[in-house]
Amino acid sequence: MATQTQGSGGAVSAVLMAGLAGLVVSLGIAFFNLLSGGHSAFNTGSDGVSWGLPVVNYVFFALTSTGLTLVASVAMTFGNKAWYPIAKRCVWLSLVTLVAGFASLALELGHPFRMLWAIPLNAQLVSPLNWMGIFYAVFLVLGILKFLRIHNGDWNSSTSKQIGLAALVTELLAGGMLGMAFGAMAMRPMWYGNLVPLYFILTAACTGAAFAVLVTCLSYDSEETMPAQVRTLMRGPLPTAFAGLLGITILVIGYRTVIGLWSNADGLQVWDAIVASPWYWIEAALLIGAFFLLLQRKALALASVMVIGGFFIDRYDFVIGGQLAPLFKGSWVPDLIAYTPSTTEWMLTLLAFSIAFLGWALGEKLLKLDAAPQD
Amino acid sequence: MEILKKLISRRRFLQVSGAGTAAGAAAVGSGGLGIGQLSTLKEATAATVDSNTVVNKSICAQCPARCGIDVYTTNGKVHAIYGNAGHPIANGKGCPKMHLGTYILYDPDRFKGPMKRTNPKKGRDEDPKFVPISWDEALQTVADRMNALRDKGESHRFGLFFGRGWGATDVGMTLVPMAALYGSPNIGIGHSSMCSDGSVLAKQCTDGNASYSSYDYRNANYLLMFGANFLESFRPYNNNLQVWGYIRGEKAPTTRVTAVDVHMNQTLSASDRALIIKPGTDGALALAIAHVILTEGLWDRNFVGNFTDGQNHFKAGEAVEAPFDEKWTMGLTEWWNVELKDRTPKWAEGVTTIPADLIVKTAREFATTRPAIALFERGAHNHSNGVLNGMAIHSLNALVGSLFAEGGLAYQMGPAYGPAPANPDDHLDDYAKNGPHKTMPRIDLKGHEDGYMFAKNMLQEVPKNHLAGKPYKMDTVMFYMTNPIFSSPDATAWEKMLAEVFVIDTSPFPGETAMMADLILPDSTYLERWQDAPTYPFQGWPLAQIRTPAIKPLYDTQTFGNTLIEIGKRLKGPASEYYAKLENVENILRHLAKGFEATPGDNGVNSFESWVEKGVWYKKPYHWRQVRGEFFEWDGQGWNKPMSAEDVKKKLLKTDSGKFEFKSSYLDHKRDWVIAKTGRDPAKFNFPHWEEPKYTGSGDLHFVTPKNAMHAEGRSANIPNAIALMQPTAGGRRQVYAEVHPSVAKAKGFKDGDRIRIKSTLGEVMAIARVTELTRPDTIVLPFEHGHWAHGRWAKERGSHVDSIIDNQSDRISGMANYYTGKVSVEKA
Amino acid sequence: MAKWGMVIDLEKCTGCQACSTACQMENNRLPGENYQDVLYYTEGRQPTPTLKWFPRPCMHCEEPSCMHVCPTKATYKTEDGVVLIDWDKCIGCKYCMIACPYGVRFYTDEKPLIEPNIKQVFKGDGDLSWNPPYKGPQQDPKHGVGIQPNGVVSKCNFCYHKISKAPKGTPDLDESNPELVEYVPACVRTCAPKARYFGDLDNPNSQVSRLISDKQGTRLLDHTGNKPQVYYVSGGGAASGAVPGTRSNKKA
Repeated sequence: MATQTQGSGGAVSAVLMAGLAGLVVSLGIAFFNLLSGGHSAFNTGSDGVSWGLPVVNYVFFALTSTGLTLVASVAMTFGNKAWYPIAKRCVWLSLVTLVAGFASLALELGHPFRMLWAIPLNAQLVSPLNWMGIFYAVFLVLGILKFLRIHNGDWNSSTSKQIGLAALVTELLAGGMLGMAFGAMAMRPMWYGNLVPLYFILTAACTGAAFAVLVTCLSYDSEETMPAQVRTLMRGPLPTAFAGLLGITILVIGYRTVIGLWSNADGLQVWDAIVASPWYWIEAALLIGAFFLLLQRKALALASVMVIGGFFIDRYDFVIGGQLAPLFKGSWVPDLIAYTPSTTEWMLTLLAFSIAFLGWALGEKLLKLDAAPQD
Repeated sequence: MEILKKLISRRRFLQVSGAGTAAGAAAVGSGGLGIGQLSTLKEATAATVDSNTVVNKSICAQCPARCGIDVYTTNGKVHAIYGNAGHPIANGKGCPKMHLGTYILYDPDRFKGPMKRTNPKKGRDEDPKFVPISWDEALQTVADRMNALRDKGESHRFGLFFGRGWGATDVGMTLVPMAALYGSPNIGIGHSSMCSDGSVLAKQCTDGNASYSSYDYRNANYLLMFGANFLESFRPYNNNLQVWGYIRGEKAPTTRVTAVDVHMNQTLSASDRALIIKPGTDGALALAIAHVILTEGLWDRNFVGNFTDGQNHFKAGEAVEAPFDEKWTMGLTEWWNVELKDRTPKWAEGVTTIPADLIVKTAREFATTRPAIALFERGAHNHSNGVLNGMAIHSLNALVGSLFAEGGLAYQMGPAYGPAPANPDDHLDDYAKNGPHKTMPRIDLKGHEDGYMFAKNMLQEVPKNHLAGKPYKMDTVMFYMTNPIFSSPDATAWEKMLAEVFVIDTSPFPGETAMMADLILPDSTYLERWQDAPTYPFQGWPLAQIRTPAIKPLYDTQTFGNTLIEIGKRLKGPASEYYAKLENVENILRHLAKGFEATPGDNGVNSFESWVEKGVWYKKPYHWRQVRGEFFEWDGQGWNKPMSAEDVKKKLLKTDSGKFEFKSSYLDHKRDWVIAKTGRDPAKFNFPHWEEPKYTGSGDLHFVTPKNAMHAEGRSANIPNAIALMQPTAGGRRQVYAEVHPSVAKAKGFKDGDRIRIKSTLGEVMAIARVTELTRPDTIVLPFEHGHWAHGRWAKERGSHVDSIIDNQSDRISGMANYYTGKVSVEKA
Repeated sequence: MAKWGMVIDLEKCTGCQACSTACQMENNRLPGENYQDVLYYTEGRQPTPTLKWFPRPCMHCEEPSCMHVCPTKATYKTEDGVVLIDWDKCIGCKYCMIACPYGVRFYTDEKPLIEPNIKQVFKGDGDLSWNPPYKGPQQDPKHGVGIQPNGVVSKCNFCYHKISKAPKGTPDLDESNPELVEYVPACVRTCAPKARYFGDLDNPNSQVSRLISDKQGTRLLDHTGNKPQVYYVSGGGAASGAVPGTRSNKKA
């Protein structure tokens, strides 16, 4: 059935198998290490980096989920019908990526199951993390409801629309709250700032668009085999909007960097180290390169992979970088904390990507993700 | 990831059962209460937070200071140690080491009972293959060996070497008498020459007291410290810290402090003036300070006296001929003429690298801000010229009249102990009195012309002499509270010796000595045993504290005093009667406490029971005081009884002259020997004078290996909580770092955190460099602590064994091992 | 109700770390996991380098950012002004460790500073992350006292098992008073140079209030607005408090 509109589905199957393999490998290694050593299998530490790569994974995928909801909303909430052909795929993927992010976070938390009752029962109303958790949880429910609606063909009933709008709002609030979780930290100037939620939503849109483009490309063997509406979208509005977003984001990252390097505020020294690292320049090359590919509407799949890679580095530099300058100097303390993620931590990254791609591929196989309203 | 673990409860169950051994073993120790404690429990526990908690009195064992401690035990587990509020040294307070006691008690690497070696081969890489034996077999093995040697007329070939002895029960009435009763000059060779004999001899040579000093810091207005790290290691550390808080934060006027050391440490930092001096040159600085005091006429005329004409004739570079009426000192103008007149600040700057203007300022402050104390320890006297440095520094105390003065320094009175249960003299047989051992020199050649005539002990010389068979070879050696195979200079020489002789170790811990031992007779740790300890020199008035066991020994161990008594009982001849009369350690303690009946302590302690209850007996005040050049004795109300010169000589200034001798009669008694062995100028050999230290090795950097605050005598290296705090100033917390100046790092091409090789003539050690401005450019500082090749799971193979590359050179007068005089080279590893 | 606070006299502090080891003993800390530690700094050049140190317990802030960020209210402030963690509510998200400007919070499950891992030597079971034979009798997870379980964050609790038993209305928990010594936090009790004082900040006649007044007590990183209940004093005299640490000490 799916093969009627899609190509052979070879790419989907390959992704499915790779995702499955990644899931098995990452879960196997991560569970083995976590069971034998607990979180000492992580290279995090109370006098070093408290939030390590698993939190980077979480931030990356949670924001990707927000971004995907944004992309889906272009058609479903804002009525741009040209974007319908990828809407269902984006809604599904927003759920899958959020699960991927939660999976990494759950294995990072000391007591993930305790969280399920402890947050609702003791909600700390002034904690950004509390609201972020609530909003993402609410979105998960709304997102599932919305997906069920459209899966059953109810794209446009007022209930469906309201659910979609509510899902979009909770996703924006959730992503914003995630931004606030960092942006409110006045004691960590690398993160501090009232525009961090905006930065998070902006970058979320970029990674959301990247995933949308990538899986759409993977869903079809080539542009030629794409349905006309999809091809039109992929040749016009989507890359254009994506390029526009990315261009703005590159500017913002540039300004963040320059401000970080310029300011003498204690704690911002970390920008020197970030800029001195090749990863920063790899990120820059990936994002700027992708920007030009998108402008020329060429190699969209490659461009989206570059954006995903670039923003993973950006999330890493943001989350980890904010912790690398020790709060106090002293003989026990290095000038800059040395942190390299452990194998277990990398396995959680693999786990999250595997969940995301496996989930997408399963959806593609089983859930008619290319569906769109008939009218 | 608790949740994952909960998912597989079976696995958890297995982990728990695996942990059972440690918990089960620890439970053995529950509920150990000795006699005398029951009556005190109610009062002691009244205020504790947990009603099941028992508090008993003991003495800390982490340094020689002997702080009284309150040991908190709940349900048979010791879990807390705080200072005993009624103890005059501790005053309820603690130093960082005091709180390490529970880790020592529950050290998982402790020996569990007596053992013998079954692997005849000995060496670092040989597993001793110990097998458990009964105490009876262990004790009998020792006694049989001793008896056999005695039968052959070779009892001198049995040695018993000890370090941190505590009091009558482990040393005074048990170990020391064994030398005479059994007949060996080598029973009771102490570690003092590796500890701080340099200061003991410096005092003995000048004021006639072979002792460390007692100090009245609280009333002093100026402290001048040489190589005594007051805030990191100098004893009594806990009390020093208390003193510091008082004299610097509360006392009016605030006491001024100048501290001298070879690198920036906490004492120097906290002082008003830090003088970072070239190693081994403290004496030159002291001489220049004396020079300034004299040329500027700042000496205490009440104590020292004055020129007959009242004019100051001390002028730099000029000999003095004018008559000087000395009061309590001897040889001042002679000293000036042979030595001091040329010891100008400018000269000293050239020797010490301390700027001359700072020397002048220090001298003026020191002499005019009285009472002032000049104190010194190992940093100043761990050199070939150590005694001379010490004499020069101590002479400053005489010049400003601080001896026996309020706010000055004095000596320590002993406690009013009752008589021993037995008198060794009553139990000597003919062999003991006239056996061949009588004519034998000690294996360490202490007091021997070929050795060290003035030394108190020369433990570091034992392996050298043994291996050379000069004067002879040992057969059996027993160790108590010392591990020279690790801590002696040229430590590895001990390995060769111990491979050749029968070795008995009494440490409860698997140290290097134990690895070379044939027999292990494990002592109980300090929280499990009875013991007495008179104070180390503190504030002069007598003080004696008692250890009471907080719990029964966790394992099959025995207090060393009882081990010796049991060995003694098994000796042939009347010696066994002596030890039978001692009975056991507790009996000795009861006899000691009898003395308190006649002389109750200030805290009401007048019996064994009250001693146990309070943990300490003390009786203030110190009986003598010098006031403006007059000496007085305590008459029960005040220091009212004037002392004659005769009295002063007998009780206080115990020199030939009965005065403080700038010109030492003590050295003069062995004039020819001193001159021959030291090559010193006959004109000044017995005056404090400047002599270049003989640095060992040929490197370009002084190698200094200080003690850190966290060094809990011999055990910190296996306490992870101590390792993690070991070197705060330089940040060493997995192991200590070698402090190296940036100029050295640059020249040798290494960076902070690099591994470096430190090379001496004896060999090399590896270390991690901490490139820092704390240390002089000509000095590398690497605290001793690590580098064990045994000693427990955390100690083993951690850090650098500094004493393996420190040459065995000693001050010919004091016998003090020259730990801080090595010169090494470093390179990137 | 008292508002417990601490005053640390930096002029008297000798940097000996007895506060750290006493705390480690009393609260069964892992090697290097110091609820209370001392920071050391070196500056300058030979022959005139400077060496400084700075003791740092938890500040038990009036406005604790760690508490505000905790999504489960596991971190809370007691009526008597102490910031505690309820280990039964902590989910181990470590946000409090991120939000604490003073770096005085610790997660249980980490690589050991010193190998071999002492937690493996003295293994714990479900409720305790390790079980040393020398652990204290107090075990009160609701107040974050004792050996922490796995997967939670722990911190200085001002020795809550001691101070909470103190007679009500006591202005100062002074260790020199035999009636009070058992209620004094371990670091204060042992501090040999008497650089630490513990008492009721709300009582203007307490020793801590007097010291803050006499010696112009200041607070660490006052600009973060956390308003520590640990004050630092040194020397005294008008000058020592004259450099403004923040724009305003008053709550808006």
